[in-house]
Amino acid sequence: MATTTAQLVITSTDLLSDSLSLSAISTLTTAGTSTGVTQTTGLSRKTTASTDQYTIYQGDYYTNDKAHKIYLKNLSATAAEFFTVTIDDSPMGRIYAGDWAFIPWSAAGGVLAAFTVTFAATWATGDTFAFDGITTTLADTETTVALVDLIKNKKFPNWTVVETSASVVTFTSKNSNYLGLIEIGTSSDDAVSTTAGNGTGTVARTVTAVASASDIKITPSVGTAMTLEHMLFHE
Amino acid sequence: MATAEITLDSDIQSDTLALVKSSILNKGGTQALLDQTTGLNKIIFTATTNVILLDSSAAGVGKAAKVYIANKSTDSSEYVTITINAQIIGRLYAGDWMFIPWSQSDAAGNIELAPSVATALPVEYMTIHEGLTPVSA
Repeated sequence: MATTTAQLVITSTDLLSDSLSLSAISTLTTAGTSTGVTQTTGLSRKTTASTDQYTIYQGDYYTNDKAHKIYLKNLSATAAEFFTVTIDDSPMGRIYAGDWAFIPWSAAGGVLAAFTVTFAATWATGDTFAFDGITTTLADTETTVALVDLIKNKKFPNWTVVETSASVVTFTSKNSNYLGLIEIGTSSDDAVSTTAGNGTGTVARTVTAVASASDIKITPSVGTAMTLEHMLFHE
Repeated sequence: MATAEITLDSDIQSDTLALVKSSILNKGGTQALLDQTTGLNKIIFTATTNVILLDSSAAGVGKAAKVYIANKSTDSSEYVTITINAQIIGRLYAGDWMFIPWSQSDAAGNIELAPSVATALPVEYMTIHEGLTPVSA
């Protein structure tokens, strides 16, 4: 069994009249058990280059209400520089240059949006179905069954796609923070079909997204390079 | 001067982890030292009610306070749920501890705790800070 220990030592000889020498050590176990955690992201670094907010860990990708732990450290050497650490939209605090934090994490993920596209009628040579930056172009006049086969074999960057039935595909978002309404049409920003014939694609939302409620985000205080070291122990 | 040192040892990966990092606890944006603390508190909780452990105050807004909380239970199934600003951070199971920055971004930035059991569950906590606003009598 893997063993991971985390020890904290806080010391001070002058904060109080009595010297402070606090030590806490814990063996990182899975929730409610004595079994050691067995998974980690490894120690990572993120160098930021703007004061935008960056997502470090997203709740969607981890099981919620477990005993995950996060280590963060601001590697800046400039005392004034800090990262504001936010959980979902709630600021937790600032880690200034040299500061570190060790945080339990609930990893409450959201609900992934899903919708179906039902294709009908005849899709002709040159017709296209474009979504998520991926365009499927017909090289020949196809049945809707063949069109579904073409689409399901594409790789979409932000959505997964499966064949639901012969003429229907289901798209599921990879990210619960996408809350937009998918619409199909010839001028939509989302799914776009262009048909020379009478082919149609009808969109129906099947799952409404609920945004992840516990993403760990950082906001650098300056737009110049700052580096955060981070690591997640998870189940 | 107060220092906080973390040691992380792990054999989860083929390359074992042996991380030791120490930081001097300074006030926000300076090299002046944090000079105030609540001292180490210990409470034995006997109800599952969500309670305010640390009350956010105007004096701490945007500062560099640090918070230590440890679940001192020895029953591995017992945990406390830690919340900040009504947002759940995570669970501390028996023996777990946390050390986080606390900038008390607004008056609602309280740190709250809810025990999982109503039997005696001991918790230790402390904040080292730049200032807290005393509650008027």
